[in-house]
Amino acid sequence: MKQFPEQAVAKFVQDATGARSITVSNVSLLSGGAIQENWAADFDIEGGDYHGRLECVVRRDSSASGVAISHGREQEFALLSRVYASGVTVPEPLWFCADASVSDTPFFIMRRIHGVASAHMIVKDLSYAPDRPALAEALGRELARIHSVMPPDRELEFLSRPSGEPALAKIAGLRYFLDHHHTPYPVLEWGLRWLERHAPVTERLALCHGDYRTGNYMVDEEGLTGILDWEFTGWGDPLEDIGWFCARCWRFGRPDLEAGGIGSREDFYRGYERESGQPIERSSVFYWEVMAHLNWAVIAIQQGERHCSGRERSLLLALTAHIVPELEWNILKMTETG
Amino acid sequence: MREQPLGDELLTCARDYLKSDVLPAVEGDRKHGVLMVMNAMAIAARQLRNGDRFELDELESMRLLVDAPHCGLLEGNRLLASLVRDGTYDPGRPGRDALLKHLWRITEQRVAESNPKARQD
Repeated sequence: MKQFPEQAVAKFVQDATGARSITVSNVSLLSGGAIQENWAADFDIEGGDYHGRLECVVRRDSSASGVAISHGREQEFALLSRVYASGVTVPEPLWFCADASVSDTPFFIMRRIHGVASAHMIVKDLSYAPDRPALAEALGRELARIHSVMPPDRELEFLSRPSGEPALAKIAGLRYFLDHHHTPYPVLEWGLRWLERHAPVTERLALCHGDYRTGNYMVDEEGLTGILDWEFTGWGDPLEDIGWFCARCWRFGRPDLEAGGIGSREDFYRGYERESGQPIERSSVFYWEVMAHLNWAVIAIQQGERHCSGRERSLLLALTAHIVPELEWNILKMTETG
Repeated sequence: MREQPLGDELLTCARDYLKSDVLPAVEGDRKHGVLMVMNAMAIAARQLRNGDRFELDELESMRLLVDAPHCGLLEGNRLLASLVRDGTYDPGRPGRDALLKHLWRITEQRVAESNPKARQD
C-alpha cells in the first residue's frame, strides 16, 4: 500500500500560501507506477494567497523505487512552469518541494484538471469535445505555443540539444537500439535507410513535446482541458511533433481523420499556423510521419521486451509487440517507391 | 497421435465462449481486459495453424537474397539488415526489386498472424 504524508504536505502548502489554517481531504492515488505516483488532494485554505478550495494533483517519485531522483520532478516542474508561462493549456504548476522533512521523495503540486484522456474513448465518444474541428484547431494552437519556446532558454538549460541534425540523431538512436537487440528487423532497417537518404535539414530547433498525440491530452464535454505527459519533451525539429500527431499509427481506428483520429489535418494545421504566424510546409510533414512509424515500432519492441525478458509480465506489453508487423506494413507502403 | 481438437481449435473455441458469454457481461477496464485476452488467443491460434511454414518460407527466400545457402534465420536476417543499412539496395542498385519483394512477403506473413485486419485498409 502506497502512503502519502498528507499532514506534512498540508503544512507545506500552508507555508507556501501564507494560510492561517488548512485542511486536506479526498486524498487518493490516481496512478502509481514504478517511478512516479499521482495523488489527488483537496486543500481547504483559510486566508493567504489561495483562500478557498484548491483541487490539486501531487506528483512525486515513487517511494517504492527507493531512489531519490530529485532532478526528475524538479525538471518536470520547470518544464511545466515554462510552457504554462507560454500560454499552453496545462495543469497550473504550483509548488515544488525537495525538503526531506516533508516527504522522503521530492514532489510538486499542480492544479487538478478534469476530463478523460483515453484515446479510444475520445475518438469514439463525441459527447467529449463535440466540436471536433474546434478541438483539432485548439490542438494545433497549443502545439504552436509549445514550439514558440526556443533554445537557448535560461529555465530549460537542463535539456540537451540533439547532436547534429535532429533527424539523423533520431535515426542513430533507433539504430543503436536495434544493434543491441537480440532480433534483427530488416523492414525497420529499410525504413531507417529511407529516413537517412531523405533526411531534412532542420531550420530551427524548438521545444518539442515528444509524445504529442491523442491519448496524451485531456478533454471534457466542452473541449480541451490540458496537454499531458511531458516526459519526452526536449529540443528538436518542430515538424516531428506535427508528424507524430498526424501519423496513421496514432489515429485509433479512424484513419480517415488524419489529425490524431479526431479531426482533419487542415483544421489542425490552421490552428497551428494562426498561432505561430508560420505556414506549415505540407510536403515536409510526410517525412516525420515515416519517422513516427519507425520510432513507435522501436518503442513497441521495447515494450514487448519488458514482458519477454520477464522483468514485467503484462498482457498489454506482450500485445504491444504485435503492433510491429502492422507498422512495418505501413512503413513499406510509405517508402517503397522512393 | 495428438487428441483432437488440436490447440488452434481449442483456442478458437475458448475465444468464442469469451465473446458470446463473457464479453457482454463485463464493462470498462474489464471489458478492455477480455478484449486483450481474445486478441492474444487469436494471434496464438493463427500461429499454431501456420506452424513453421512462414518461417521456413522466409528462410528460403532470405538465403537466396543474401546468397548464403546455409545460414540460419537469425544470422541471415542480421546480414540482410546490415546490407540494407549500407545502401546495398538503394534506388538504382541491382537486387532492389528482389529485396522489396522479400520484405513485402515476410511483412504480409507477419501481419497475417499479428493483425490481419491491418491489410484491409
